[in-house]
Amino acid sequence: MTALILFSTGGSFKVVFDAFPPEYLLYGGALMKRTLFTAFLLVILSAVLFASGADETKGAQGNGEPHVFSPDNPVTIDAWIVTSQTAPSPDNKISKLLKEKLGVTLNYDITTPDQQLDRIGIMLAAGSIPELVGSTDQQARLVQGGALLRLDDYLDSGRWPLLAEHVRPVRKKLTWTGGGVEDGLYQFPNYNRFYGNPPIMSPIHWGTAFWIQKDVLAFHNYPSLENMTLERYFDMIESYMKANPTIDGAKTIGFSFPMQGRVWGLTNPPLFLAGYPNDGGVMVDDGQAKIYANSKYAYDYFKFLNMAHDRGLVDPESFTQTLDQYLAKVASGRVLGVHDQRWSFGTANDALVANGQYERTYAATMPTFPGKKPYYADRDVLNINQGFGIASNAENPELLLDFLEIMLTPEWQTILSWGIEGEDYLVDENGLFYKTQEMRDNFNNLTWKQDNRLEALLDIMVKRQGELPGGNAFAAGDQPGEFFDSLKQYDKDFLAAYGLQTWRQFVNDPPPNPAHYPAWQISPPDGSAAQVANQQLEDAAQRYLSEAVLTDPARFDSVWDEYMAAIDSIDVAAFEAVITEGVQARIRAAGGE
Amino acid sequence: MGITTSPGVSAKKRPWRVTFKKQWQLYLMSFPMLFYLLLFAYVPLLGWVMAFQEFRPRFGLSPIGQVMSNKWVGLENFKTLLDNTTILGQRFLQSVVNTLGQSILILVLGFFLTIMLSLLLNELRLTGVKRFVQNVLYLPHFLSWVIVAMLASTALSLPGSGGFLNDFLLKVGIVDRPIQFLADPGYFWGIVAGTHLWKNLGWNTIIYMAAMTSIDPNLYEAASIDGANRYQKMWHVTLASIRPTIVLLLIINIGMLLTSGFEIQWLLGQGVNIVRSENIDVFVLRYGIKMGNFSLATAAGILRTVVSILLLTGSNFVARSLKQETLF
Amino acid sequence: MKSKIKLRRKFSAESLIFHTFNYVFLALLCIAMLYPIINTIAVSFNDGLDAVRGGIGLWPRTFTLDNYRTVLGMHTILDAFWMSVYRTVVQVVTNIVVTSMLAFALSRREFKPGRPIALIFVLTMYFNAGLIPNFILIQSLGMVNTFAVYWVPTMISAFNLIIMRTYMRTIPEALLESARLDGASDFRTYLQIVMPLSKPVLATVALFVAVGAWNTWFDAFIYNSGAQHLSVLQYELQRVLASAMMQGQQSSQSSQAAQAGMGLSMVTPQTIRATITVVAAVPILIVYPFLQRYFVHGVQLGGVKE
Repeated sequence: MTALILFSTGGSFKVVFDAFPPEYLLYGGALMKRTLFTAFLLVILSAVLFASGADETKGAQGNGEPHVFSPDNPVTIDAWIVTSQTAPSPDNKISKLLKEKLGVTLNYDITTPDQQLDRIGIMLAAGSIPELVGSTDQQARLVQGGALLRLDDYLDSGRWPLLAEHVRPVRKKLTWTGGGVEDGLYQFPNYNRFYGNPPIMSPIHWGTAFWIQKDVLAFHNYPSLENMTLERYFDMIESYMKANPTIDGAKTIGFSFPMQGRVWGLTNPPLFLAGYPNDGGVMVDDGQAKIYANSKYAYDYFKFLNMAHDRGLVDPESFTQTLDQYLAKVASGRVLGVHDQRWSFGTANDALVANGQYERTYAATMPTFPGKKPYYADRDVLNINQGFGIASNAENPELLLDFLEIMLTPEWQTILSWGIEGEDYLVDENGLFYKTQEMRDNFNNLTWKQDNRLEALLDIMVKRQGELPGGNAFAAGDQPGEFFDSLKQYDKDFLAAYGLQTWRQFVNDPPPNPAHYPAWQISPPDGSAAQVANQQLEDAAQRYLSEAVLTDPARFDSVWDEYMAAIDSIDVAAFEAVITEGVQARIRAAGGE
Repeated sequence: MGITTSPGVSAKKRPWRVTFKKQWQLYLMSFPMLFYLLLFAYVPLLGWVMAFQEFRPRFGLSPIGQVMSNKWVGLENFKTLLDNTTILGQRFLQSVVNTLGQSILILVLGFFLTIMLSLLLNELRLTGVKRFVQNVLYLPHFLSWVIVAMLASTALSLPGSGGFLNDFLLKVGIVDRPIQFLADPGYFWGIVAGTHLWKNLGWNTIIYMAAMTSIDPNLYEAASIDGANRYQKMWHVTLASIRPTIVLLLIINIGMLLTSGFEIQWLLGQGVNIVRSENIDVFVLRYGIKMGNFSLATAAGILRTVVSILLLTGSNFVARSLKQETLF
Repeated sequence: MKSKIKLRRKFSAESLIFHTFNYVFLALLCIAMLYPIINTIAVSFNDGLDAVRGGIGLWPRTFTLDNYRTVLGMHTILDAFWMSVYRTVVQVVTNIVVTSMLAFALSRREFKPGRPIALIFVLTMYFNAGLIPNFILIQSLGMVNTFAVYWVPTMISAFNLIIMRTYMRTIPEALLESARLDGASDFRTYLQIVMPLSKPVLATVALFVAVGAWNTWFDAFIYNSGAQHLSVLQYELQRVLASAMMQGQQSSQSSQAAQAGMGLSMVTPQTIRATITVVAAVPILIVYPFLQRYFVHGVQLGGVKE
């Protein structure tokens, strides 16, 4: 949308207007005078314009008493939040509570992730940004541009013990060392800082797998999923497909994956098949990052996929469908297998459950190449360059930190995540939280959420994920009791057939993440050759891999050669160098611990 | 038609003071708006200096400070865009080709079909029917491009996914197996043109219809007496009367050849068809804005403006040589 | 005489064929235009989870009013709806006043500065300074997060100006001349003679401005994001659509996985998007047939031969 506005040359109506005699283009004297006059005017106007620069007030360093939050002492906080959640309604229940208990009014400025960069460019250039800054820019442009306050000294002052404790175990990872500004901590991570030992983890594997419909496994009499291979995965699908050429009257689809905006659905499998964890576009060995798009693993996988397509197992529309179309297919129950991350087809899964088609929902499998150990599941990765920071021109940074500190107390964390006791959840005799079905339904109701939840704020807020004091999970969906209560008979039987208790047990038990992990968090700097190369690699993959999979098997090798030639023309070395540098820096930082 | 042929009052040389005294109300009605325009449209043009810099915004600097703190790179950004030996340059030039291909297709098809549709509408005699048809034809103009893109991707998909275009082609027997329209780059320009037509075809007839309402009915009468049939009248009376409108629209649209829309290309452009889908706007978004490279984006904008104005004056010149209606 | 009758009969046979073809063709065209729109309406009346399965045609499969209840129950949408109405009205009024006044001055042939001024306006159709410079200007004028940003920078469009000026030039010179002889000032001529005669073009431009104002969302996004109470309907729609169409970049993988784990749903249901589309399109569809009769006669084009 941006580009459209930047470059639209006039109105959307392409219509004719009245004429200007050509003499006016060559009008000589009179026009010349006017031109001079115009120029003069421009100079005056621009002088006026530039005189009004940005002001440079900065808050004082941290001493003095913490702010006492009370209704008698009202404050308004401007918060910029990047999220796809909608803004709360004006008389939101939790907003009211914030005001009644703390005297805090939040003034939201909410931007969707795809429009974030426009706003960042403007905010930096115009020198104006809300005081509480919740961004999710992997490139950390706000930090580099000097818009965020360095928080280290504040945290070390001891005035904000909860915030200090929140970042303590992960401080090294969070410390910005990318240049532009002094190294240090600029943002509090919004996800995956876990509390509790061990933390309560979600019983659902939300990450990557080659998912397969439960009914396919039932059809094959619940075969062992150990040592899964591509051959076995696709053979299971093929024999099921032969037995069930249609599902609910529609043609059965063997295998698909998401593509629009989620190109990893196509490109990531070689990584997992080769036993590597999700490092994005590279494999990391001995601290060296290397792309795998041109590797033997990639060749083998796409060759296999090409054959599978020839066998009629791969949905040819996978390469062109929109996200909606993909989700519609999955939700129709006629797609037997997908390579995807579980969160990515969440709505489709919900639709199947709502329709009672439990046998059409999916279980995770982890095919690998012979001799490789599956590493599909990783430990939840701490978010970096995402979350709340404080604007460097904030008038009172201490107050903002005081606010975040109070939001990090278990009391407010419970309110933000679970809601209000008695209304949004109940407590059993053991002090454990639970919900009625109606309460669960409310959480899926857009209108209700606008009036009763602060999801935009919660999305970017510091969170005590894992465990709240008292043994409750931070997130309702992770509460073990909640999980088992909501499990349907079909799923109970299915789990029993495999002798397992949760869906997470279908994937590998992840070892501690490597020091550098994950490499996809390392982004090449703006405008660099590495950044361009990265974009080029993605484009080439989409273009040639679709052709390679869809083509006649006899032609596969020649398409593959074209693809390799395209990669050769890209400055891959620049990309790998930048990622390797980042990997090395992280390994060094971890070693120094 | 608004062709005014009355001669202007011949300008006599008068000192402007005298005319000002006489026309001060006209000055008052126009000059404030001129200043307003200079402020809102021309002053921001100072921002074009970005194109000659490596623009990296720094927080807390005044606009002039921003300009001073950036590195000057001369014409580097323009060279990058036009350098056919680098990948970036190749992609930009390819995007120019795609933009031109798409908009020429829109222009050519749009012209013929819009005029044809206007003629057909003009032949409708029942006022109620005519108004109803017109209203229906304007409807798509009010849907946003995002919606149009979603509708198009459904229409173009395989039969099992609601792809009714394939359904239709199969039923009529034009093809014997469904076409993956979005997977074959060869179709993409056509898809762009098709969606533009769908959205704006009806709306664009407004101008021709307006022109046709002011044709003197006596002309048709005279043609009938001369023995002209329906088609001859359409050709010699209707079309001839709206020719100035057609020529002027053509000139304006030629000036806009480097703009071919954005959402369709962005939302339906996939890796498979990128060679034909990526136009200038998409290029600028991917390699300029999304990479924080505002300088490159601005440079592309300047290039486009320059070429647009050249195209505009060029087509105007051709029209003048052919003794047709001209824009200026 | 005889041959003339023959001719007429031949014409009517031909006429029948032509009109049959014409009606069939236009009917097909109408179907092509209507089908996707009716489909959108059908989806908006369909149950959300059911709609994910696709395949809804001209009629909802599982009828429900829940989507409308949801959308119209969302305060942000309702507030934005009224803000859209308000900004559209204000923008139409200011545009009409300012544009007509300027167009009148520029339409006067004896007003010498008229042509260069018009040229300066027309050039603006062919360039745009870009996002950041425009923002800095608006910010320097203190218009960020104010209602003013909706109507002040958009008071006049070169295109509308040219339409109006051209139309005003078709008003017979003699009329203006006689007014002048009666001693009417330029301003009175504008107000009492030109304006009443320009009703069709005023209606046309009003509709152009209204359609434009109603459908714009970029100014709300760029300039007024910090003031939720100033948000407009199309921006709210855009947010919902964009978050569904263009999310899931690799960089935010983990955050989305974590969101999913916490039960924050990410993709707004298709049905809700369809509903917002319908809600956003209906008002403008209701308004324009009323203006249409002026509309067809209002647009005047042509070159000046002098």
